[in-house]
Amino acid sequence: MKGAALWIAAALALSAVAFVLGPYQTDIYRKLLLWITLALGYNFLFGISGQVAFSHFTFYGIGAYAIVILIFQAGLPLPLAAAAGVGLCVVLALAVAIPATRLDGFYLALATLAFAQLFVVVLNEGGAVTGGTGGLASYRLPPLFGARLDGPRYTVVIVLLLLATLAVLWRLDRSHFGRACRAVRDNPEAAAAMGIDVRRTRIAAYAITSALAGIAGMVYAFVDNTVNPPIFGLENAFLLLFMVIVGGSGSHAGAIVGAALLYLLPFVLSPLIGHHHALVFGVVMVLVVLFQPRGLVGLADARARRRAAP
Amino acid sequence: MQHSSFARRARALVAAVLVAAAPAAFAQGSIRIGIITDRVGPAKPYAEPVTQGAEFAVRELNAKGGLLGRKVELLIEDDQGKPDVSATAARKLVDAGAAFILSLSLTPATQQAQTVSLETRVPHMTPSNSGDTLTTQISNPNFWQTGPLGSTQIATLLSYARSKNYKRVALVTDNSDLGQLINRFFKAGLEKSGIQIAAEEVVPRGATTAEPQMQKVRAANPDALFMTGVLTPENTLVLRAYRQLGLKAPILANYNLSVPQYTSVAKGLLDGVTFVDAFDPAKPEVRRFVEAYRKDTGSDPWNLHGYGYDGILLVADAIRRAGGTDRDKVREAMQATRNFVGVMGAQGSSYGFADGRRTGFDTNGMVVRVYERDVQGKVVHVGQK
Repeated sequence: MKGAALWIAAALALSAVAFVLGPYQTDIYRKLLLWITLALGYNFLFGISGQVAFSHFTFYGIGAYAIVILIFQAGLPLPLAAAAGVGLCVVLALAVAIPATRLDGFYLALATLAFAQLFVVVLNEGGAVTGGTGGLASYRLPPLFGARLDGPRYTVVIVLLLLATLAVLWRLDRSHFGRACRAVRDNPEAAAAMGIDVRRTRIAAYAITSALAGIAGMVYAFVDNTVNPPIFGLENAFLLLFMVIVGGSGSHAGAIVGAALLYLLPFVLSPLIGHHHALVFGVVMVLVVLFQPRGLVGLADARARRRAAP
Repeated sequence: MQHSSFARRARALVAAVLVAAAPAAFAQGSIRIGIITDRVGPAKPYAEPVTQGAEFAVRELNAKGGLLGRKVELLIEDDQGKPDVSATAARKLVDAGAAFILSLSLTPATQQAQTVSLETRVPHMTPSNSGDTLTTQISNPNFWQTGPLGSTQIATLLSYARSKNYKRVALVTDNSDLGQLINRFFKAGLEKSGIQIAAEEVVPRGATTAEPQMQKVRAANPDALFMTGVLTPENTLVLRAYRQLGLKAPILANYNLSVPQYTSVAKGLLDGVTFVDAFDPAKPEVRRFVEAYRKDTGSDPWNLHGYGYDGILLVADAIRRAGGTDRDKVREAMQATRNFVGVMGAQGSSYGFADGRRTGFDTNGMVVRVYERDVQGKVVHVGQK
C-alpha cells in the first residue's frame, strides 16, 4: 500500500513539473525522461544480466520507425499500431537473441554492433518506407480515444512510460528471474549447475529489455514528430553504455544518475565552457572508470558502508 | 557643502547621460539572430567556417550602424551534430527571442529543428545545407534553403563532363551513407547522358591505401575519373594512389574537394583536379568580401565562410524590408527576396524565391574550378547548361 502511494506520488510530482516548464525546458525534460527510461532498460540488460549488447538503441529506433510507418503508411489505428510495434520488437529481439545469446562478451557485442549498423543501412536505403537519409516527418500523433495528447499531457505520457518501465524492471529484478539474471551474469556455469536455464534467461532478458526500448522509441517518435537515421546511430548506443557505467552498472539509481548527468552535461557546460564540454565528458569517463568502477552510486554505497562500520 | 552636493548631482547627471549615450547608435533593444551550429560533431569542419562567416557579417553590420538602427546580436547554440539536440537548441533560441534562426549543422539536424519553426512560426533558414528534400519533406512556410542543392552540384559537374565529351568514366567513392548516395546520383546522371561507367570502386572508411581500387581504375583506362566520396582521409588516399600509379585521366571531384582542408592534408596531390564549387574568386562581391574579412580577422576566408556571410545578409535584408521583426512580415519579406547578389554563386547569379519556392540558390550558379598546384584556382565551367 505504501509502495503504491510512493509510485503515485512520484507520478504526480514528475507530471506536475510538465505544467510549469517553458517550451525549451519541456523539450529537455521530455528527452531526459526518455534517456532515463532507456538507461534503465539497458542497465537491466548490461548491468544485471551481464550482456554487452549494442542493439538497445536500435530497438528504440525500430519502435520509433514502426509506429510511424504502421500508422501513417499502413493506416493502422494508434492502439493497434502500438501493439503491432511491440510485437515487431519482440519478434526481432528473439530473432537476434536466439543466435546472439549463444555468443558471450566480446562476440555478443560484435554481433549486436553489426545488427545496429545494419539497421542504420536499412533506414538509409529504405526508400519511401523509411524516408531514406531524410527520415520521416510531417506527421502528428492521432487522437487517442478522441483525446489529443499534446503539450504537457504528452509529457505526462512520458512520465508514465518511465515509471512503468522502472516498475517492471524493479519487479523483475526482485523476482526469481532477476536473481537468475544476476547469477548468469556472475557465473554462468555455477548458475547452470543450480538449475538455471542460462540461455533461456539471456534470451528473455534481451527480449524484454528490447521490447521496453521499442516502446520508448514509439513515444519518442512524437516528441519532435520526425525520425531520421542519425539519431539511431552508434554514437547514441555508446552514450547509453557510458550512462550506465558512469552512474553505476547493475543499479537502477545508477542508471538514473548516469543518464541525467551525461544528458544534461552539455546543456549545463556549453554556456560556461563552450564546446570544451566534450573534453569534460571524456575526463569524467576516465576518472569514473579508473577511480570508481562501480559508478557514481558506488560513492554513496561506500559512504553508507563507512557510516555503518563500527 | 551646497557646492559639493551640486557637484555630486552634476556628476551623476553627466554619468547618466554618458550611460544613456553609450548605446546611442542603437535606438532600441538588439535584434537577435539565432545560429545552430555543430562544434563537436561530424559537421564541425563545415559548420565552423560557416559560423565564422556569419559572425563576421554581424560585426560588419553593427559597424555600419546595425539593422534598422538596432544592434544585431548572435545567439549561437551547439547541437553536436545531433538532430534531437538541434530541435532542443531551436526551442532555446525561440525562448531567447531570436527573430530568425540559421541552421548550419547536418541536414537531418536542420530537418528536426524545422519541427520547431513550423510550430512556433519563427523564420528559419539554412544557408549551407545541400539536402534536396529539406524544403519539400516538411511543408514549412517559415523555412528557406539558400545553399546549392546536391542535385545542382551533380548536374553542374555532369554538364562539365558532357562539355568534355567523355565516353567512358570511372567512379571512386567511399562507403559513407552520403558518399554512396552521391555516387548513386552521379551514376544515374552519367548513364542518362549515355556515358559508360568503365569502373566503379569503393574505398572503405578507415582504409590505409586506395591502391588496389586505383589499379582496377587504371586497368579500365577511363577517359576521366569521378571522385564521389565525401570522406577527406579516404579521398586523400585516392589522390595519393592516383599519383603513385601514374594515372593520367582527369579527375572530376564532388563538392567535398572544395573544402580547403585538402590544401594541407593532400598537399602536392591536387594539381589539375577539377571540382565543383559555389565560389568564384573573380566575382567582385567575392573580392570585396575576401578583402574585408582579411582586414577584420587577419586571415583569408574559405568558400564556406561565404555561406554564413550571405545567410546573415539575406536575413538582414528581409528584416530591413519587413521594417521590424514581426514574424509574419519577416516571412513575407524573405519569401519576396529576388535578385539578391551575394558572395556565393557564379558571376551573374543571385538568390531569390520565385514561384513560391523556398530554395533560393540559382540552379546555374555553381561553378567548376581547377586546383593549380595546391591552390583552388580559376573557374573553368559555369552552370549546368
